Amino acid sequence: MEKETALQLKHKSSLSKKVASFIDRVKKDFKRNKMIYLMVSPVVLYYIIFQYGPMYGLQIAFKDYSPALGFLGSPWVGFEHFKEFFNSFFFWRLLRNTILLSFYSLLFAFPAGIILALLLNEVRSRIFKRTVQTVTYMPHFVSLVVIVGILYDFTARDGVVNDILGFLFGIEPIAFMQQAEWFRTLFIGSDIWQNVGWSSIIFLAAMSNIDPSLYEAAKMDGAGRFKQMFHITLPGIMPTVVILLILLIGKFMTVGEEKILLMYNPTTYETADVIGTYVYRKGILESNFSYSAAVGLFKALIAFTLLVIANGIARKVGDTKLW
Amino acid sequence: MWEKSKALSFLLMLLLLLVVGCSSNETSNEKEEQADGEDIDLKDPEEVEYPDEITYWTELNPSVAQTSQSLNDVGVYQELEKITGTKVEFKHPSGEGTDITEQFNLMIASGKLPDVIEYNWRTVPNGPDKAIEAGNIIRLNELIENNAPNLNRYLNENPEVKKMVTTDAGNIYTFPFIRGDEKLMVFMGMMIRQDWLDKLDLEKPSTISEWEEVLTAFKNGDPNGNGEMDEIPLMVQPDDFKYIGAFVGAYEIHAQFYNDNGTVKYGSIQPEFKEFLTTMNKWYEQGLLDPDFAAVDTKLLDAKVTNNQLGSLFGYTGGGIGKYMGLMEDQIPEFTLSPTPHPSLKEGEKAATAQLAHPYEGYHSASISGSAENPEEIVKWLDFAYSEEGHMLFNFGVEGESYEMIDGYPTYTEEITKNPDGLPMTQALGKYIRASYGGPLVQDVRYVEQYLELPEQQEAVEIWGETAENEINMPPTTLNADESEEFNSIMSDLDTYYDEMVVRFIMGEEPLSNFEDFVATLKGMGIERAIELQQAALDRYMER
Repeated sequence: MEKETALQLKHKSSLSKKVASFIDRVKKDFKRNKMIYLMVSPVVLYYIIFQYGPMYGLQIAFKDYSPALGFLGSPWVGFEHFKEFFNSFFFWRLLRNTILLSFYSLLFAFPAGIILALLLNEVRSRIFKRTVQTVTYMPHFVSLVVIVGILYDFTARDGVVNDILGFLFGIEPIAFMQQAEWFRTLFIGSDIWQNVGWSSIIFLAAMSNIDPSLYEAAKMDGAGRFKQMFHITLPGIMPTVVILLILLIGKFMTVGEEKILLMYNPTTYETADVIGTYVYRKGILESNFSYSAAVGLFKALIAFTLLVIANGIARKVGDTKLW
Repeated sequence: MWEKSKALSFLLMLLLLLVVGCSSNETSNEKEEQADGEDIDLKDPEEVEYPDEITYWTELNPSVAQTSQSLNDVGVYQELEKITGTKVEFKHPSGEGTDITEQFNLMIASGKLPDVIEYNWRTVPNGPDKAIEAGNIIRLNELIENNAPNLNRYLNENPEVKKMVTTDAGNIYTFPFIRGDEKLMVFMGMMIRQDWLDKLDLEKPSTISEWEEVLTAFKNGDPNGNGEMDEIPLMVQPDDFKYIGAFVGAYEIHAQFYNDNGTVKYGSIQPEFKEFLTTMNKWYEQGLLDPDFAAVDTKLLDAKVTNNQLGSLFGYTGGGIGKYMGLMEDQIPEFTLSPTPHPSLKEGEKAATAQLAHPYEGYHSASISGSAENPEEIVKWLDFAYSEEGHMLFNFGVEGESYEMIDGYPTYTEEITKNPDGLPMTQALGKYIRASYGGPLVQDVRYVEQYLELPEQQEAVEIWGETAENEINMPPTTLNADESEEFNSIMSDLDTYYDEMVVRFIMGEEPLSNFEDFVATLKGMGIERAIELQQAALDRYMER
């Protein structure tokens, strides 16, 4: 008995010693690097206030939230909202659409930036390169509402796209925005158009970091431009590609809901309605806050799991990883 | 000593309870007290003054937004401030349609409420009773009886209206927008290009088969005379079918819930609805129905009409006939949009349903929020609109500026009818009055008599009024809080599926042979339970 207490005491004191020494070290460090702490504080505060703080509100996913009763006052209902969502008529469709749209954007939109960067890297005329770059990243600065407006105009029955198709191939006008089977193509296509230039910038930056002597050596060994691209440029930007890919996978379940809201209508719900837009309709328009919090939480959990898996794979396969 | 301290603590506790009870609006205790009408300490109405200032949340009607930043700039409120001395701080949500719903819901969720909120409280999630229970708005019965003599008199003289503004729980929750005359209740229907009919030597259609003939003639006869087959014979939007019963009424049903001699039915699962869909599908395939019908907005619709392409459409007397005839006056002098009867299946019959507003529907009604500090004063201020003087002000504006009394008839001046700045009448009215789009007031028939200046518009009210029975329309029932929670959770997914399928059936993407599956799916989603809930609400309404 006495022995135990003594041991516990010893343990305790060692623990408190550890804590004390930790605080000491932090104090010392703080004195030494005051300015750095000051500089990082806005970022830390941002995360605490805007990212971690609101997580407190997540509890309403397990409650029957009523604004009048507040977060704490609303009664608990457990997993009721989750059950309702899993049994919802649209559950599978929402899941399928969310995953497919994300998947297609990984498959088509993500490589588009890499390909453009690779092509631009091979261009020798600086004026041409600059022009192409400016033209391709311009749309990134145009508001989403305007982009979708342009999309509507171009793909309308009497719009440019149908005019061209009719003129060249004699195809009857297609109401693109009203047909479910066209939605994904339009969504991903316009996404590429809007962002390809912007996303190529980071890859171009990575390419400029590659040691020029590598190219010279390859040339000496008789490698052509394609060989150089495949064996030097691509491996050179690989770490950047992997990191960006992991980050993208972390956002996997978030598929530009704002744009879908602008683009969809009942005729295209079939392929367009995703978890995010469903949450918007349920939560904001029908003020079913608890239910949409539950759905949102479910979505976040999937994204988090995917992120961990992706990072794990990256760690196994290469040395590039997020943590 | 012991006894004394015990008594003291007991007293303290009582005091505490009282304070807690008063400061929280949702305790059931207080609700019951309110419902009994006891224990409310109402000031002597004589002592109540107009409030010094109030905050007032309401959407800004598009026709007002054209000329004014806020309702403070509008004649009626400037005059009202002179009379009552009350400074009003208006808060207007931006945008239209769902933007407003969104901002309303966020405002409620934030808990920071202005004194007066003008909205359709009848349609808020979980209904007005729940909004009172949650403390978002307050029950007004006693306040109206005590402090709003004008509205109180009106409600007592019009028991039918009083029934509509009262919930099943017996709460009056709003200062209503009331249509004061039958002529004000019909304002929507089918309209057709009369000049095209004349050109092709056709009669105005009145049955579904006549419609089909006329539309086909429009399609093939090149009535706009440009040598191309670019005419769009018909434009009706899915919501017009769904909520108003355009064309659906010919099939003896309403697409949504309707009242079949006291039994609630849901039209879209009836076999008649399949007949309706079959016709629409046929028209769509033949190019009679605009291929863009499912995703058209006001701008696109305007373009189709003003491009001289559209043969017939569903729309308003003012915002349809009036607007387009005004727009086309100079361009195509013979352009005439003329109202057509609501179509029926057989010659000489009436459509079962069409647009017909109730005297009270919920829109643009002003409720007092739970955070208002001086409800009695606000009630007195709101009641002014229902007084003789207020009635004139809200319906006709400022005497000498927007109207003159000529032989006892309030006649709009040229400022309104022939605006010097070239404003269309809707916008000119919007600068002075509120009756043109709704507000907490009684709408005056003399407004509409002058507003509908064109003979076609006058004719429209008559034709549309006469050619539908409307007996099957549901009265403005209310669901109680629990019911409406259940009802909403059924209907939100169901409506999504419904909207999608109806459009697909019409566009032929879903074969009509699948109609039975559609009905079965609706049943699987709980439509029968929704009907039960509506039935209960209707039964209670009938008993009120």
